[in-house]
Formats: sequence, C-alpha cells, structure tokens
Amino acid sequence: MSTETHVDIEQLRRRQPRFQGLESGHRACLGCGEALAARLVLESAGPNVMIANATGCLEVFSTAWPESAWRVPWVHSLFENAAAVAAGMEAALKHQGQSAKVLAFAGDGGTFDIGFQAVSGMLERGHNVLFVCFDNEAYMNTGIQRSGSTPHAAVTTTSPAGRERMGKRHLKKDIVSIIAAHHVPYAATATVAYPSDLRKKVRRAIDVDGPSFLHVHSPCPLGWGHDSEKSIAVSRLAVETGLFPIIELERGELTGAMPIRHPKPVTEYLKLQNRFRHLFADDPRAREELEHLQALADYNIEVYGLLGDGPDPLDTSGIDKVYRGGAKWA
Amino acid sequence: MTIYTRGGYALPGSSLAFKTGSWRVQKPRHVHGAAPCHAVCPAGEDAQAWLARVDEGDVQNAWRTLVQANPLPAITGRVCPHPCESACNRGEMDAPVAIHAVERYLGDEAIRHAWDFGVPTPKADAPRVAVVGAGPAGLAAAYHLLKLGLRPTLFDKNPSAGGTCLTAIPSYRLPREVLGAEVEHLLSLPIDYRPRTILGRDVSIEELRADFAATILAPGQQQPRPWSVDGVTPKDLHQGLDLLESWNSLQTAPAPFSAAVVGAGNTAIDVARVLKRAGVTEVHVISHKAKPGPGVPEDDVMPALAREIAEALEEGIHIHEHRGVRRLILRGERVVGVEMVHMKKLRRANGRLSRVAFDGTETVLHCDQVIPAVGQVLDTRGFESLLDAHGWFDLDDVMRVAGQRDVFVAGDAGGNAGTVTAAVGQGRVTAGAVAQLVRGHEPTIEAPRLAVPFSALNVHYHESAPRAEERVLPVAERGESNEVDLGLDRLDVEAEARRCLSCGNCMACDNCWTLCPDSAVLKTREIASDGSHYVFDYDYCKGCGLCAAECPCGYIEMIEDL
Repeated sequence: MSTETHVDIEQLRRRQPRFQGLESGHRACLGCGEALAARLVLESAGPNVMIANATGCLEVFSTAWPESAWRVPWVHSLFENAAAVAAGMEAALKHQGQSAKVLAFAGDGGTFDIGFQAVSGMLERGHNVLFVCFDNEAYMNTGIQRSGSTPHAAVTTTSPAGRERMGKRHLKKDIVSIIAAHHVPYAATATVAYPSDLRKKVRRAIDVDGPSFLHVHSPCPLGWGHDSEKSIAVSRLAVETGLFPIIELERGELTGAMPIRHPKPVTEYLKLQNRFRHLFADDPRAREELEHLQALADYNIEVYGLLGDGPDPLDTSGIDKVYRGGAKWA
Repeated sequence: MTIYTRGGYALPGSSLAFKTGSWRVQKPRHVHGAAPCHAVCPAGEDAQAWLARVDEGDVQNAWRTLVQANPLPAITGRVCPHPCESACNRGEMDAPVAIHAVERYLGDEAIRHAWDFGVPTPKADAPRVAVVGAGPAGLAAAYHLLKLGLRPTLFDKNPSAGGTCLTAIPSYRLPREVLGAEVEHLLSLPIDYRPRTILGRDVSIEELRADFAATILAPGQQQPRPWSVDGVTPKDLHQGLDLLESWNSLQTAPAPFSAAVVGAGNTAIDVARVLKRAGVTEVHVISHKAKPGPGVPEDDVMPALAREIAEALEEGIHIHEHRGVRRLILRGERVVGVEMVHMKKLRRANGRLSRVAFDGTETVLHCDQVIPAVGQVLDTRGFESLLDAHGWFDLDDVMRVAGQRDVFVAGDAGGNAGTVTAAVGQGRVTAGAVAQLVRGHEPTIEAPRLAVPFSALNVHYHESAPRAEERVLPVAERGESNEVDLGLDRLDVEAEARRCLSCGNCMACDNCWTLCPDSAVLKTREIASDGSHYVFDYDYCKGCGLCAAECPCGYIEMIEDL
C-alpha cells in the first residue's frame, strides 16, 4: 500500500487535537524516553506554564542555538539551580498576580546529585512549583557517567564491569522517600510506558497549590544499550518486574500504587540492556548480582504492596488497554 | 478563520526549521496485513473488517461488509467449521473470538430487518451468465455475478433453493425458517431464478453455452458413495444421505432398536443424531478416526465439527473410535450385527497414509441396521461431455473445466470444497473469473495473502477477556427439530467484537500518535488516504521504530530508508 498522502502535513500539524509543548525538530536521539516524557508532561500541563530547566540532555537537545523546540516560556540557568530559579519565577509571578504554573525540569543529575540542595530548599519553602525529574539513571549528556540514580550493578563509563567490580557498587538513591520526607502535598512516580497514568499524575500535581514532585522513568537507548524501538518495552518491564514501583505519596504517606498483575523476573528487564550484559556472564559474582537485583525488586513489591488483591482495571495489564478510536488517551 | 490548537503554531526560531528526518535509516509505513481469520476463510470473508464495524456499533454496516464476500451468513454462521476461529490470534492469548456466533447474529439481523444488499440492478444489455444448481455455491455465484454487473440465471432441479443445506443438514443445526428466509432474501435480488429445471432433461449444456456468455456449474454431490463390505450389502440398506433427505423433507426415518452409522464426517454425526430423534434407542457411530480431544493429532481427528460431536455424545450416541467394519453379520439378508476391528491410519513405507486393520482385535456390535455415511459423489447426468476419464471435472486454477473457454465449476462438484463456506467461496471466485472473461481478460485469481502472525502484534495493550459462550439447548428440550445452538445476544456479540485484536489493520487507538518522541505522527480528522487515521511526518521522523513496536495491531512496519 502506498504511504503517499494527500494531507497537507504542515496544516495538519497546526491542528492536532492536543497541546504540543515540545515541538518536532529537537535533537534527541532515536527513541529518547526523556523527549517522550517531556512531551507527555507538557501535553497535560497545558500551555499556561513556564519552565525552569536544569542543564542536561533535555536542555541541550531542545535548544540548539538559534532554535528552540519549546512552545512555552522556558529558561535555563545552571545545572544545580533549576529548583531555585523556579522558586524565584513562582515568587515573581505571585507578586505580579499571574496564574501560570511554574515547572522545574531536571534530569537525575540535576535532581539526585548536583541540584539536590536547591530541590530540597524549594520544597521546604513551599513554593507552588511542580518539579519533574526525568530519570535516565546516569549523566547521559556528558557521556554516561554514573549518578546517584544509576541502579546497582549497572555499567556506566565511570562504573565499568571488570575484575574489581560488577558495575555500580552502590544502590540507587531512594529519591521519592527523600522528597516525601519534606511532607510535600504530592509526590509520584510514573513512566513513559504508562502515558495515561503519567498524564493523570501531571494534572493532579498541577492542581496542587504548593510543591509537588514527579519522578519519571525515562529510558535512554544510547546509555542503557537497548534498541531505540524498545524504550517503552524496557520501561514497561521496569514496572512489571517491581524495579520501578509506580506510587503516589501525599504528605509523605503512600496513597496509591499501581499493582503488578503478573510480576516478571528482573532478568527480563535486564537482558534487554547492554548496561547489564555482564550479569549474564558465567560468573558467580554475576549470579549473585542478579539475585541481588531480584531481591531489590521483591523488596519494592513487598514494601509498596504491589501485588494488589486480584485483577485491577488500573494495574499494569489493564491501564493501557487500547480501544478502537483511541478513547484510552482521552 | 482557521483556528489552531494553542501552542500548535510555529514562531520564528522554532526547531521545526531543523528537519530531523535526514537522520533516518529506516522509516515506518502503514501496511494492511491480512488477519488470520481473513487469510484462512474459505469464503474469503474479512472477519476483522466486519468485527471492527460491530465494535463501532454499526451492525448494519458490519453485515454490509460481511456480504461483500458471503451473502449467506445466517447459514454459514451455523454450519461452518469456522477455520477462522482455529486461526484467530486471540487464541494464543486466551480464547479465539467467537467469529461464527457474530456472523450468525449479523445474518439473523439482516433477515429480521430485511437489510438491502446494496447491489445495483444490472444494465439490460449486460452479459447473461447461467448458474446450474441453487445450493450455496450457485447462490453465491449468482450474487457475485450480480455484484459484478452481470445478469445471472439460476437453474435448480428442486422446487426450492438451498441444495445440500436443504437436503442434508438437519433442522436442529440449521432451522428451515432461517435457511428459507436467507435464501429468499438473496433471491429477492434481480436474479432470474428457474426452479424445477433439470440439466439434461429441460435444458442441455449445449443450449446453455449457446444462450449465455458463460456457465457456472454448481450441482453439488448428491449421490451417496457406493458402499459394501467385501461386495456384500444388506437388502434393507439405507444410505445416510438419503435418510437425511427423507428426514429433512418428510420427517420420516427408519426406527429400528439399534443402528450403526459408518463414517466420521458431519453426515455420519447428522445421521446418528437424526436416528436418535426418530426414536432409535441405541445409536452407534463407527469411526476410523479419533474423537477430538487434547493431544489428538490434527490428522487423526474425526472431520465432523467438534461441537457436533460433543452434542451427539451428550445425546447418548456411542462413538467407536479407531474402528472399521470388517464383516457384516447377516441372518438371511438382514443385518444382525457388524464385526468391528481396530484400525488406524499409518504412514506406510511409500510415505502415504493408509488405514491398517489389526488382526485379533475383532469385536461384534449387535445392531439391526447399518447405515453408511462415507461420502458423496457427483451425479453426472447432464454434463457427461465435460467429464474426464475418471468421471470428474478436470479444473484449472480459476476453476474452469480444462479445455473449455466458458464453463466453470463451483462447490462440491469440483471435488475440493467440502463445506458450505468453501462452496460460497468458490461461487465468488468463479463469478470473478467469469466477469474477467466476459470483459475480454484472461481470468486470474488473487494471490493468497499471508496472515499477520501473533508475534507481529503488541498484546500488552489488550487485557485478557473471557470468550462469550453460546447457550446450548439442554438434551431434554431438543425434541425432533429444535435448534440446539442458541447463538449470542447483542451484548455478547459486541463484547466479542471488542475482543478482536484487529490483526493487521489500524484500530485508531492513538498509540503511535501518543508514543512518538518526535511528534512525527500526526492524527487526521478524517481517514488518511492510506486507510489509517494517522500520517507520518517524514520531515521529522528519525526512524526509531517505537510506533511499529508499540502498534497493537501489527499495522506499522519499518522499511529501509537510506
């Protein structure tokens, strides 16, 4: 069948029935989970927002001089201060009597490590800001260096696997618990594999008058070493194995968790990614690390009660059921 | 004034100036693959297409889509062995979609509302085509000729149309009201229908060839295959096919105390169930194949429909599997029993399957009557001149009699149909070939399409859902002719349509549109010209393949684009 169309694509692009906050033409890699996540966040955050962006992939690929892919006011200052800049913007807007919601966008580096104290301060001062962390689990922009978010046993250029170590020695920082300890009104995790859940959480966070936090699992085909068309499959498996629990916390209390209908072994998630390839070698240390990662997943399943009780229409198998005509994404 | 989506317009300095499409080494494209139900349907129905219309809530449109291939859905929905369901990809997930029950529902609704086929009346000077035999093949051929703008004349030797459906299928499987209504609905189209016209008596093949632009022969196989055991036949032999015909038209059948039916096909099971209804206490079926069940190899299963076999067993019919008749036990010329022997089809040294009887396994089955139901053959009267040396039609690819320009054969008479649905399909194929012929082209057939495999689908987006089971009349209420399978109601039919995975065709679920990191998939308000609801913007598509990987229907493929 011919793929020729008689549609005026330029006109069609202008009349898409959804808000397009991150436009085409950005320089993200093929299958970038972060680009998809940012697009989905803005789709439901709507046009009446302003963004403070930390240094990182998102900042770099969206604003190659002299162009910008953003359709909303957007500012970038430094790596460490997205939350501080957002706090200042929020205070200024409040002073001017404007209603735009301020979003702070950062990667895991700008949230877990370099921007951590600014995030903590913004939360503590109670600014009306939604802070979104696009977590691709390493410093991808500078060439895949480990971060506080890199999972245990993953390989990065600064946590190689070899005679001494099986990838990263330390554990992934439990950032959501740290955020929750600030007693913020709303904090949640989400992934690009469950867009309707992600967008629902963005709307919920936007409605909060006060600080809110969204932690979005965003696969990186280049840094994680998987095929570009696998980004969503990888993210889905992160949830289905229990390695990335999808939860909601209000004032520090767990108020929601997406149940896993059929938990999968962590190996299904790991084997798709080259950063975990060394764990499948014939090596007792590799077998130990595989068991360790499975134990971490089991721990999440237990602490957050992810098995649920019986099939749930909003669990990992039910939530993104497709319908003819696309009612799912409405 | 054009109203744009907020944020949907480009400002100077937008990244839209940078065409990331230049990075691409592969690109997505929409490809409408054949759903397995469509690929295997002997009638050429695209069940995926009409299930989609049911899912949209437009049952009439669903029927209109269905009758593009098969004008007899109320009949085939009841009697077809539904290979579509065996092929259904949903079977890999939980259970196949109950396609036959939806088809039956659509057929029944069309009869109830007398929906219009939407077939135009042919021009007065359109070429005329003769169709001999008003069974499923002949009816379908006449219908498709009409659809193709030709003027069909349909001859049948019987007073009413229906062919084998009328003479050989009992009414508990196919109620006569349904059969009559559906055939009548079809014959309300401008088809020149001539009942009680016998080829060779009232009209000759030479006359047909002189008067008509082409001829389609669909006489069926109306003669029981001759049967004997070592040349011996009992004096009071009733052939299964004749027994069914007299039961179906006169409601009479012999009623000895016990009877043994020889055969493993639908006729054998039908005969057994008719005998039970006629009052025979003990009904045995002697089958050289096995009852269907888990672990039974496909080529060893009785060819009768599995659900017919199950219902026969419910009704108390004994099926002796892997048995053959070695000898008739006669007192005078009357049967008092048969000697059965264990038998199995085995592959011999020459590689061919043949039946082997095992000595020392003989048993005697006492019975008052033996009824063979071992198949039918062609009644050759009227077209002897067209047969080959073996008394068969020698047909080419387009089902044309070898060496003839304008004579085609459809249905059982051709020797490889075997089901009502296959007959309907051959009616359609031959009508298409005739249309090509009368327009001056050499007839060709469409190449078979490869089915979309289960592995091409992304089933993460489908929840498992139980298959709606048809209600079955309890044995005590079945009586002589009450329909046993009771079909599905509207709610169940809609639920089944929702279970369809839409293999190989876009269901407009928005996945590609939602999941493209580059916003290079655009949604169209109307259907895009390639049949989907989305357009790829190749200016920005980087070729990551996410849309193809996450398409639940296998409708997007990635092709090299260097």
